[in-house]
Amino acid sequence: MTGRLAAFWRSFAENRGAVLGLGVMGVLIVLAVLADVLALHSPIEQFRSNFLTPPAWQAGGDWAFPLGTDDVGRDILSRLIHGARLSLVIGFSVVALSLATGTVLGLTAAFAGGVVDVAIMRLMDIVLVFPSLLLAIVIVAILGPGMFNAMLAVAIVTLPGYTRLSRASALSELARDYVTATRAAGASTRRLMFDTVLPNCLAPLIVQASLGFSTAILDAAALGFLGLGAQPPTPEWGTMLAGALQYYQRAWWVLAFPGFAILATVLAFNLFGDGLRDALDPKLKR
Amino acid sequence: MSRRWITAATLLLSLAATAARADTLVVCTEASPDALNAALSTANTSFDVTEQIADRLVEMKVGGSEVVPGLAESWTISPDGLRYTFKLRHGVKWQSNAAFKPTRDFNADDVVFSFNRMLDKENPYYKVGGGNYPMFAALVQPNLKSVTKTGADTVVFELKSPLAPLLSTLSVQPFSISSAEYADAMLKKGTPDQLDLNPVGTGPFQLVQYQKDSLIRFRAFKQSWVVKGMPERAPRVDNLVFSITRDPSVRFARLQANECQVARYPNPADVPAMRKAKGVKLAESTIASVSYLALRTDKKPFDDVRVRRALAMAIDLKSLVDAVYQGTGTPAAALVSPALWSHNDSLKPRAYDPAGAKKLLAEAGYADGFSTDLWYIPVARAYMPNGQRAAEMIQADWAKIGVKAKLVTFEWGEYLRRVRLGEPDVAMSGGTWDYPDPSQMMLGLTCEMVNAGRNVPHWCNKEFSALVQKANVVTDPKERAKLYYDAQQVFYDQVPGINFADARAYVGMRDTVQGFKLHFFGGQPFGGVSLTK
Repeated sequence: MTGRLAAFWRSFAENRGAVLGLGVMGVLIVLAVLADVLALHSPIEQFRSNFLTPPAWQAGGDWAFPLGTDDVGRDILSRLIHGARLSLVIGFSVVALSLATGTVLGLTAAFAGGVVDVAIMRLMDIVLVFPSLLLAIVIVAILGPGMFNAMLAVAIVTLPGYTRLSRASALSELARDYVTATRAAGASTRRLMFDTVLPNCLAPLIVQASLGFSTAILDAAALGFLGLGAQPPTPEWGTMLAGALQYYQRAWWVLAFPGFAILATVLAFNLFGDGLRDALDPKLKR
Repeated sequence: MSRRWITAATLLLSLAATAARADTLVVCTEASPDALNAALSTANTSFDVTEQIADRLVEMKVGGSEVVPGLAESWTISPDGLRYTFKLRHGVKWQSNAAFKPTRDFNADDVVFSFNRMLDKENPYYKVGGGNYPMFAALVQPNLKSVTKTGADTVVFELKSPLAPLLSTLSVQPFSISSAEYADAMLKKGTPDQLDLNPVGTGPFQLVQYQKDSLIRFRAFKQSWVVKGMPERAPRVDNLVFSITRDPSVRFARLQANECQVARYPNPADVPAMRKAKGVKLAESTIASVSYLALRTDKKPFDDVRVRRALAMAIDLKSLVDAVYQGTGTPAAALVSPALWSHNDSLKPRAYDPAGAKKLLAEAGYADGFSTDLWYIPVARAYMPNGQRAAEMIQADWAKIGVKAKLVTFEWGEYLRRVRLGEPDVAMSGGTWDYPDPSQMMLGLTCEMVNAGRNVPHWCNKEFSALVQKANVVTDPKERAKLYYDAQQVFYDQVPGINFADARAYVGMRDTVQGFKLHFFGGQPFGGVSLTK
């Protein structure tokens, strides 16, 4: 087992971008976990004598607010750190929700076949037809704006990917001899589904999930930007961007840092996901 | 189709570019008008268009608040205030367009037609506009009995009950005079909707072309009566173009590039940069606006005046106005703006006093505070440039006295609809005056309006209502001012709403623009504006 892990790490480490992505992810996770300790101020405390203070290294800056303050005097660095926690929670919850539901639906479709298969897959096709962000906006508009509803909406629109992936790999596994053998030995359908077939379908699902993380963060930020996601004064990155838009000529830091945070996070997760795919896919192994 | 349009647009653009060297004033405006005839609209974008094309019986002095003669040379009011007789101007020429050549000057028939079309359901043109004339219906119709012609140059307005602000109301663009002859001609041709889609008027500019979300072109109408009759509105450029540019920062950038010579509604955050920009100057003025946080006075816990006072005292208004208005506003305490007569200058904003507020709340039985929703406007308005930030600051301030506010908003149209239905307990509200009479905003807060949707705090105060209703009937300006002055004191004491700020409005323009006067009642005139070479 350790040998397999070491081999996996060797092939993963070949990809420098992936390692970099992993590093950034590590930093983000540390920030998220230790947000209460690391942040200098509360993310929602308004310093009424420090509106639009520039970053510390600029003229008029103040080291009490290393990345400056926004238009109601909140420390941008503290908001970004707490925002990292939110973004990771959003990414994790969305992926967990859609991965779990998608896998169950996909396996059910593969095992049941017939009408059930057709019904589930056509439903997924319908979801796929709509541009994902538009569909998410519609769902949030129905459920009402808020962070939980935004997460639910993003989870729904990312569902088809997992469903189709798990169904496809389950179907190819179902034809294998070991599945027939297990079935002949009298295993129940549930045991077949989750204990026999699922572990062998995991590799593509893990890759999809790690890439889905960045999609989830990006979509949630977009919904926040449109005012449909996290509600003020929550320090969500997309919401921070939306509130700062009118200052882009006057106070660049209000806009630049949340934008950079989203960019760095999404890039890190994408690089990591790519590296993971390369490492897990035997066909790409040299 | 699309290619033809593109060619046409390119041609136009190049035409516009060459014309710019001739005498063309390009104004960067913020949105398309919802109608080219202001009678159908309540939006300033529509008022701006009609202001250039048409005239009213009476006009507002440009940049001022004084009623001056327009298409009516003079008028008399009967002692009981029920009969207004207007003597009309002679020799006023109508504009023409491809489908219509006027054969006569402006006369009493035009005035009667313009009002009967909104008043008389049997008029063939009543339905053409959808039967919906919001400003007329809200401000004049309830009091108006009839408009009749008593001579070629005399028109009489008969009222059911006195309406003190009638004259200044009639100076607003929805009460512009259309040509009865044009209306008849279009009706005969079977295209009555042209009256509103392709309007002709007697004003300083005539409409040449309108492309939604792109531009509105006007040409100077040199035969207009305003050249001699009202020189401050006379056309001083050959062409006038409204270039519709939604984003305020883009308007500013286009102003710097001299693509437009006037840029309206700048972003408050950009005002300091505009002051410093080369070749750019600013016109500014305190506008007649009001903005307040309405508290539902008929619901717990806001039915207790101590709670309302405590909530007002708990807001750090000075820093709120600094952050939200970015130096374009000053904290307000009176309902009527200082830009308007009868402003009560003895009222001062309540001092920021969280400890006192907490004590008041405890007296009212809410020592531990309470929870409430706080509705904020989702768009930037002149009277409230950033509703969300203001709401976040109030939320933080109220948290200090134990009042937990949840921020709520909706898309703008939906927000207005829900506020009219009376859904929110605490909601931002406000507006700008269209004509210089305090009644426009004051009437909305009377008992009669509680169920009409305009009284956002659902505030029924007998004293306030009596004062405001009386002021609407009395015609002596001094007495009216005193009544409104007292009414503002009642509003201040009872706190059905917490005032935010008296906003200032800005217009950016090139140094070459001469004669521009910022006008904040209704549409902005561009007559009288010239360009130096």
